[in-house]
Amino acid sequence: MLDFDWNLLLDIDWVEIGEATLDTLTMLGVSMLFTVLAGLPLGVLLFVSAPGQLRARPRLYAVLSFLVNVLRSLPFVILLIVLMPFTLLLVGTSIGVAGAIVPLVVGAVPFFARLVENVLREVDRGVIEASQSMGARLPHIVFKVLLPESLPGLIGAATVTAVALVGYTAMSGVIGGGGLGDLAIRYGYQRFQTEIMIVTVVLLLALVQGLQSAGDSLVRRCRFD
Amino acid sequence: MIEVQNISKHYQHGGKSVAALDNVSLQIASGEIYGIIGRSGAGKSTLIRCLNLLERPDSGHVSLHGEDITRFDERALQQRRQRIGMVFQHFNLLRSRTVAANVRFPLELAGGLSPAQMDARVDELLALVGLQDHKHKRPSQLSGGQKQRVGIARALANHPDLLLCDEATSALDPETTDAILALLADINRQLGLTIVLITHDMRVIRQLCDSVAVLDHGRVVEQGKVLDVFLAPQHAVTQSLLAETGMGQGALQGIWRQRVATPVIKLTFVGEPTLQPVLDKVGREAGLRVNLLSGTLSEIKDTPFGQLLAGVVASDVDVSALPAIFAREGVRCEVL
Repeated sequence: MLDFDWNLLLDIDWVEIGEATLDTLTMLGVSMLFTVLAGLPLGVLLFVSAPGQLRARPRLYAVLSFLVNVLRSLPFVILLIVLMPFTLLLVGTSIGVAGAIVPLVVGAVPFFARLVENVLREVDRGVIEASQSMGARLPHIVFKVLLPESLPGLIGAATVTAVALVGYTAMSGVIGGGGLGDLAIRYGYQRFQTEIMIVTVVLLLALVQGLQSAGDSLVRRCRFD
Repeated sequence: MIEVQNISKHYQHGGKSVAALDNVSLQIASGEIYGIIGRSGAGKSTLIRCLNLLERPDSGHVSLHGEDITRFDERALQQRRQRIGMVFQHFNLLRSRTVAANVRFPLELAGGLSPAQMDARVDELLALVGLQDHKHKRPSQLSGGQKQRVGIARALANHPDLLLCDEATSALDPETTDAILALLADINRQLGLTIVLITHDMRVIRQLCDSVAVLDHGRVVEQGKVLDVFLAPQHAVTQSLLAETGMGQGALQGIWRQRVATPVIKLTFVGEPTLQPVLDKVGREAGLRVNLLSGTLSEIKDTPFGQLLAGVVASDVDVSALPAIFAREGVRCEVL
């Protein structure tokens, strides 16, 4: 590092960096959207079907819980490869940014769903009981009690998931997914272009910091005191 | 009229079946305030939850105004619950909603009102509990007493015909407790609303209730009008609960019996005689001189009552004649 020639920074292909940033943001944004769309209902389902909960279905819960664990225990790189045929079927390609989004979602949904389940467990049992005493039906309890009462926790869970997704996108280079992580591996690591490595790491760091701060400030704003 | 018929409820605990309620029957008249008292673990909480079936008894029936709600399907039960208010020890308000929105919640669940009608009803309820000025606050900004007022307003939103209070004042300080009890008494009078409450505190029963049931290990060991139960507690649990509130018998009686050993009389005043100089009058007429050993003078709801234990120091008449003399003044006298 000490004999690093800082002038190299001037030679960087900023267009390529820009494109990679855009790819990362696209993968992150789209996969986050689908992760929330699928993970939130799955998390709610896990919560209400758990033994002793509102709609206890121990067998369904055991199956869902097992599937979630299976997906969470697969290293993301393996998931990328294993899912290729499925991705091809679903979006017509198994490579590039579009091809990366499917495995990203599949990897993040179980993670987010588990976080959602845990956040919902923190909702005061007494408040749920009170709404039952008022004649609330399950959809009422989910939409008027569970989700609003746990909103800060849910935003926190989404933030953690988004940060994890940034890490996953770095591996999408394996299937030509592009993005900053891919750039860091190809130029920075494989071609010893340390300057590219530095720039991408700084950008990724800024991205993660930005996500975390945005999440934290949202949580602060919707806290109930 | 609320009728609880032979309900039992068991829990599995470590492979054993533990009875939370053992063949409990109650009859609660419309418009009365009915207290259920017992120590923790007596089954109070399970019993009150059987009245809106938040807990389903293993056997037995619960009828509200002739309708057996244990036979209702889930949907019918949910509908019925909208008209059974419930107030909780820890308030159980929605943190994500303002005071007004909390009170509005049961109205949203019930449907049938326009947003403007709901707002009007919320204002009416907040005025009833004296929280108009706190409408836009969050529960976290309120004191315990204020939170319970929100809880009460919320419980009354859909014009219930029954209000259940689950240790509604147990988390509050004594002054706030009095204010909340006064509010409940007020609501009972104004709306003619039947209230069933559980508590471990005899003072709550004394200040608020018309009738009381004493629960011990899942069984009703004593029930009746509060005045009767307070003045002549039959069961040991009732006696010890009363003793804790300073309403027990005894006090100096033991020492008196040991050292002085003259007869001890128990005088029971209910209503008007409580406010008359009866002891003074009988003392002059019968030459009765007594030494007070213990005593309670108080009121149960709005009836003044008193109970005195007195050691007889001297008497012109035979002690066995005293009950008849006191009876003329409307006071019950027992020679112990």
